[in-house]
Amino acid sequence: MRRYGRVFREFFRACLVEELEYRSEFFGNFIASFFGLGIALLTIHIFFYQTDRLGGWTYGEVLVLLGVFNALRGFIDFALRPNMPRLLEHVRRGTLDYILTKPVDSMFYVSFRHLVFWRLIDVALGLGVIGYGLYVERYVPSAADVLMFFVVMTASLLLIYSLWMMLMTTSFWVVRIDDLSFIFDSFFDTARFPGSMYRGAVRFVITYVLPAVLITNTPALALLGKWSMAAVLAALAVAMLFLWASRRFWRFALRFYTGAGG
Amino acid sequence: MIRVSHLHKSFRVHRRDAGWLEAVRHLWRRDYRVIEAVKDVSFTIEKGEIVGFLGPNGAGKTTTMKMLAGLLHPTSGEITVGGFVPFEQKPEFKKMMSLVMGQKSQLIWDIPPLETFLVNKAIYDIDDRLFRQTLEELTELLDLAPLLDKPTRSLSLGQRMRCELAAALLHRPHVLFLDEPTIGLDVHTQENVRRFIVDYNREHETTILLTSHYMGDVAALCDRVMIINYGRLIYDGDLSVLTEKLAPYKRLEVRFSRLPNVDWSEYGEVAEMEEGTVVLRVAREAAAETAARLLERFDVRDINIEDPPLEEVIARAFWEERV
Repeated sequence: MRRYGRVFREFFRACLVEELEYRSEFFGNFIASFFGLGIALLTIHIFFYQTDRLGGWTYGEVLVLLGVFNALRGFIDFALRPNMPRLLEHVRRGTLDYILTKPVDSMFYVSFRHLVFWRLIDVALGLGVIGYGLYVERYVPSAADVLMFFVVMTASLLLIYSLWMMLMTTSFWVVRIDDLSFIFDSFFDTARFPGSMYRGAVRFVITYVLPAVLITNTPALALLGKWSMAAVLAALAVAMLFLWASRRFWRFALRFYTGAGG
Repeated sequence: MIRVSHLHKSFRVHRRDAGWLEAVRHLWRRDYRVIEAVKDVSFTIEKGEIVGFLGPNGAGKTTTMKMLAGLLHPTSGEITVGGFVPFEQKPEFKKMMSLVMGQKSQLIWDIPPLETFLVNKAIYDIDDRLFRQTLEELTELLDLAPLLDKPTRSLSLGQRMRCELAAALLHRPHVLFLDEPTIGLDVHTQENVRRFIVDYNREHETTILLTSHYMGDVAALCDRVMIINYGRLIYDGDLSVLTEKLAPYKRLEVRFSRLPNVDWSEYGEVAEMEEGTVVLRVAREAAAETAARLLERFDVRDINIEDPPLEEVIARAFWEERV
């Protein structure tokens, strides 16, 4: 595990050097992130001109939810998104062979090799909005709330990682689509709002099948003191299940790639 | 070090006729065809040997090498490399071998090679002292000092290949697989890469298996060669025996200001003739003398003597023999 920490640090360092090579505009990105979040806040604000509840959530609560959503999206853009097109490239060009000859887990390598560190701004801004939401709600989370928040947040990160990884793994077969991430985006965008807002089949799908709602709603609720041990354990269990599934799928894809099995 | 017995590999590939109707039909009905890429190949390579692995494109060289490196699962047969079964992909196995593919790069494109080296250092878990020592040695041998801090994208093909080799050798592998390491390089750089491989092998007793298109590579590096064609190992033995058998002639490419109208058979066998240019096959010993004769008698603009391309040689020696 320590070794993987070191490898990750090295990836981070190499990406930093790579990023600086192009002197990507830190400020430009910062402003873009800031604007994006501003618009999202405005949208919510407008909703609340019409009503004082959104699927049973108050304004402050929805802000906390938006903060969680933004932070998680920041994580996706930081570690996961940059790797998707690269895996496609690796498969297409055959450079995946180099990765497979490295004595480091290939799934770890393909998902974390490329990092866009300035996207961590979104994580920071998200945390800021969470703080602001709590302030609007006038709620001070207890130590237990915070602890549960971190546990559930970890589960959410694992879930996102697994879903993303499964999508990425399809690039062994779908080598002609340059960027599969839009599939993930359209699904993840539903997680911006309270799950209770949705009705019928949509609600069922995004709660149970592709648990987008679970991913953002549970951490927000935990921080607002509305957690239950059952929900926390369920979130962890679902995360583990998806992680296991994504791992299996990756192995399966590699067996396909290397012509073992099948 | 490397033991291979009765190795087979077959692939299932889609087969599709041309035309858009076919393409649509292909969406739900796929025809498969089985291609046998490697058939019943067996050989042993001892520690410290450099073996050249030759054959035309699609003969099964790369497929065999990929199986040795654990990248492809054999359909049947057995392989051990340094006591490991490659396809189990154990980390200990991966740490003792390395793969360099001339056509594919592992260097990070936008940043200097040194950065890739550092990433590999972390991946292979190489300790600081050993890393510094190895890097120093490789820098010296491959003359990397002026390249280490330039972005990879700004390096020439030859410079990049030298860095690729260094990146692959940082963890001091015992077995090295080189797939077309000199492809696309100019003659001078090919020479340098070859010299490096020989020196490195001598110094570290690294077992090296090398595929190449170039006779020159093989001649400079390997005492032993294996030739594979249509998936079968058709020759495994001494290089010196092979050269005489395979390439008793040289290729003479002559460019004239105006193509003279003469009977070329006096000089050699005509392989190609184009506007102003004649390519002749001339017996190895007679090549220099024939070139001199041509220069003396005609208005020659340019003349080129080279080993025949390996594919041609193999095709001649083995294909013709068979037919």
